[in-house]
Amino acid sequence: MRAWIAARLAQTVLVVVLSLTAVFGMVRLAGDPVLLFMPMDIQAKDVNEYRQRLGFNDPVLVQYARFMQGAVRGDFGESLRYRRDALGLVLERLPATLLLAGTAMLLTLTVAVPLGVVTAVRRDRAVDHAGTVLTVLGQAIPGFWLGLMLIYVFAVQLRWLPTGGMGGLAHLVMPSIVLAAFYAARVARLTRSAVLDALGEDYVLTARAKGLAERRVVGKHALRNSAIPIVTLAGLEAGQLLGGAVVTETIFAWPGLGRLTVQALLNRDFPLVMAAVSFTSIVYTLMNLVVDLLYGWLDPRVRSRA
Amino acid sequence: MKKWLGLALTVGVVVAALTAPWLAAIDPMVTDFASSLKPPGSPGHPLGTDQLGRDLLARVLYGARLALFIGACTVAVTAVVGGLLGLVSGFVEGWPATAIMRLADVQLSFPFILLALTINAIVGLGLRNIILSLSAAGWVVYARVVRGEVLSVKQRDYVHAAAALGVGRPRLLFRHVLPNVAPSIVVVASLQFSQFVVAEAAISFLGFGVQPPTPAWGSMLSESRDFLYVAWWLAAFPGAALALTALGVNLLGDWLRDTLDPKLRV
Repeated sequence: MRAWIAARLAQTVLVVVLSLTAVFGMVRLAGDPVLLFMPMDIQAKDVNEYRQRLGFNDPVLVQYARFMQGAVRGDFGESLRYRRDALGLVLERLPATLLLAGTAMLLTLTVAVPLGVVTAVRRDRAVDHAGTVLTVLGQAIPGFWLGLMLIYVFAVQLRWLPTGGMGGLAHLVMPSIVLAAFYAARVARLTRSAVLDALGEDYVLTARAKGLAERRVVGKHALRNSAIPIVTLAGLEAGQLLGGAVVTETIFAWPGLGRLTVQALLNRDFPLVMAAVSFTSIVYTLMNLVVDLLYGWLDPRVRSRA
Repeated sequence: MKKWLGLALTVGVVVAALTAPWLAAIDPMVTDFASSLKPPGSPGHPLGTDQLGRDLLARVLYGARLALFIGACTVAVTAVVGGLLGLVSGFVEGWPATAIMRLADVQLSFPFILLALTINAIVGLGLRNIILSLSAAGWVVYARVVRGEVLSVKQRDYVHAAAALGVGRPRLLFRHVLPNVAPSIVVVASLQFSQFVVAEAAISFLGFGVQPPTPAWGSMLSESRDFLYVAWWLAAFPGAALALTALGVNLLGDWLRDTLDPKLRV
């Protein structure tokens, strides 16, 4: 077990280092960050001064070393637009994204998992068919279109909810539903198939044969045993919420990390892009690591396979 | 049921895209200020017009062309590149395989849409670059699935038998291993297709990717935000077209997976 954890940790460190390298490489491919950021009519003298000040005149390898050293200390340089510490800006936006993603997660757990269980238990009944339609639609409808339609109905026509921004509970309703939709649909389908698998096992037959009430058969035997695949896949998929936040936050003007990233890309504010993308990547990698370790702890067979 | 609905929707979208010039009598780029923002059902404009008076039906139909073209190109590129890398990394042991899989790990440490968006912001706008960005972010799924399949297929008796008969390694790989891995490639392709189409729309929606005035569903939806209070149809129809396309292809993909490869999870 210990060797396995050590191996996973070492692999994670390697992936993080390589990902940071990839972020640096991608941004350097874009060309001169100063020229891209500056207005067209700026004088060459000013460009050069700016470049010198930000260290863009040094050889690429020196810049790379400086970037990696900075990244280790959490220093990604200064945002070109806001003239402030890039990572500071990222961290400032983090709580908003965590609130949104957390709410979406909560919605998923309280709606999608029970839905998955019910549709598995009532297989081929009306509930199952309705559930299938719902999950298939949830996976097909793009979040940003769902967002626009919800805004039209509930904000423009009915005036029940605000169109965007962050504030009270009312502001959270539409963004969290939009962010949760795709994820919840996947989790519901995964739950359904995991519970169906478990219901087909011999121990369920045994439990039924000894006369246990159906509620206990499902609750104690089937659900417990299908928990592992549900937790793992739900955990692995949870990282996609960070990707979904990029789009959702933009539609609802939610002041989170995703919107910051899009704005930084649109402004060609490359230090900020590097900070935001690196940060998201590291969080995503760590989430995967946690899920992996959890899985290995729950199911010893995983450890031997790796 | 799944199969027929998926097939009907997919065929419908493909036919609409192919026959767009005949279905829509009007050029999707021609502006007509005198009849801007007409609601659906106006004479000559079944789905209404946009803020510049362009016919929405024509724009949605031409949008289908663009969406399917981008989806098909991206799936083709990723299937070939990812499939080959997967074949090689599963078949040949040693450092190339390790290098390919490390590269895959690095790519998987970014959420797909964020990676595609960032690459697109860097390589630039336009049709070719959006296909390039989506492919660069999307090949990993093939590489992983194909590698896994190859690792198991190459242990089969018929592969050992062929090797014992003196079949060379390239022939072994392409004649004996590849045909047995092909169903997985088809299933992944169908499941990835709608992801690419939706991702392209999302990226264009965010202001990258395909730019106006080209009729792409994503950029049409992006423009529609400014007119949500006065013209709901500008948001409703392009998005519905996108959702129906994704729905059709997803259903078809589900059915293909159930038929060809029930154990595959993508």
